[in-house]
Amino acid sequence: MDIKSYIQSGVIESYVLGLADQDEIRELERLRAQYPEIDQAIIAFEELLEQTAAEHAVSVPAGVKEQLFERLKEEAMPAESAPRIKETPVAAAPVRRMRWAPMVAAASLILLVVSGALNIHYYNRYHDVRQENADLISQRTTLFADNKTYQTRLIEMQEDLDMMADSAMMKVSLAGVKGKENNAATVFWDTHTRDVYVMSSKLAPAPSGKQYQLWALVDGVPVDAGTIGDCASICKLKNIPGAQAFAITLENAGGSPTPTLDQMYVFGKVG
Amino acid sequence: MLKSLQRYNEEELVSLLKQHDQAAFSYLYDNYSSSLHGAILGILPDTDTALDILQEVFVKIWKQISAYDVSKGRLFTWMLTIARNAAIDMLRSKNWKNNKRNNELTDESLTLAGSSQTNTDVIGLRKIVHTLKEEYRVLVELSYFEGYTQDDIAKQLNIPIGTVKTRLRKALIELRQTIKV
Repeated sequence: MDIKSYIQSGVIESYVLGLADQDEIRELERLRAQYPEIDQAIIAFEELLEQTAAEHAVSVPAGVKEQLFERLKEEAMPAESAPRIKETPVAAAPVRRMRWAPMVAAASLILLVVSGALNIHYYNRYHDVRQENADLISQRTTLFADNKTYQTRLIEMQEDLDMMADSAMMKVSLAGVKGKENNAATVFWDTHTRDVYVMSSKLAPAPSGKQYQLWALVDGVPVDAGTIGDCASICKLKNIPGAQAFAITLENAGGSPTPTLDQMYVFGKVG
Repeated sequence: MLKSLQRYNEEELVSLLKQHDQAAFSYLYDNYSSSLHGAILGILPDTDTALDILQEVFVKIWKQISAYDVSKGRLFTWMLTIARNAAIDMLRSKNWKNNKRNNELTDESLTLAGSSQTNTDVIGLRKIVHTLKEEYRVLVELSYFEGYTQDDIAKQLNIPIGTVKTRLRKALIELRQTIKV
């Protein structure tokens, strides 16, 4: 290997200046260990470089060194920064420099505050929306319940209508007796099943502790046909195989075995 | 800050620096800050930015001194490499490019081969580089002052990599001769 021409090829300068590529670096480091002349040539160029840099030096403004040492102190002891900051003459910094840490800290703080405000805002929004949602759910439940009630009522009324429209159903109108002319009721009597229904919406409301009771007159004898509860429109009462007339009296709650005749409200004959 | 009057030989200095000796570091700063400052300004001719970089460079030296390997080269060479890398990093950074008024020129620096630097901006070693003949000047500009690899340069200038390698070496030899004179 021609060491002299290798030394004079410029590869050493390229290496020292940091311009050589990986292959050149590997080759040179291998040869350097092998040939002291190469090692010396490298050192010689490094010295020349240092000397040239010194010739082209540009003085650094006073104050930069103090700043640098302050910064190194801060970076070396971040844990006890609080008391140290007090010792630092803050105003004595004439030269602009990048102070990343405070900027990052300030940015973080701003982000934290913004994030906190957003948290509160969104938490409040969340609460409002949750409350609204709860209200809506309870409204919905109420509506469902109402709907169910109405459906039930509707079905009942439909059944009542069907029952009344049934050709097998016999209708017996009960008119108010003397002194009770404002009252009326209707008995529906199924001629097949012999079930008796009564529509009592035109009777005066029963006083508390009292209840209306329907009687069937069978061969002149009043037979209990059932008490009228608080059914919506038409109450299904007892099964009466045969009767010539129906009457309603006001009795004590729970009904009586025999009618209190002076408390008769309505009366009507069958047929 | 105590002005260090003591003188160290390089071996002593490195050993003390590796122990994070403040007086040794102060000495290092006093002796090399202006050389490194000049080298940084050669790459990045902006006074404020160069001082920021210089400070970063000394912080890096302080932090990374344990990684410095004496057998790989002299201390100054190691510090100069740190300074050059820091300056080129800044040169490449978006911040710097956005701040430069002649934005289009620096962005196109590769194809313009360093002509973005007017001669009045050029100081130090770079001034000497500008006395080289054009084909040498371009290679030194692109590689040393703008930090492109030989591979990048070969591709950009459409020259074979072997040619870039030999031409750059010749350029450096000539540069060395010029310095010595």
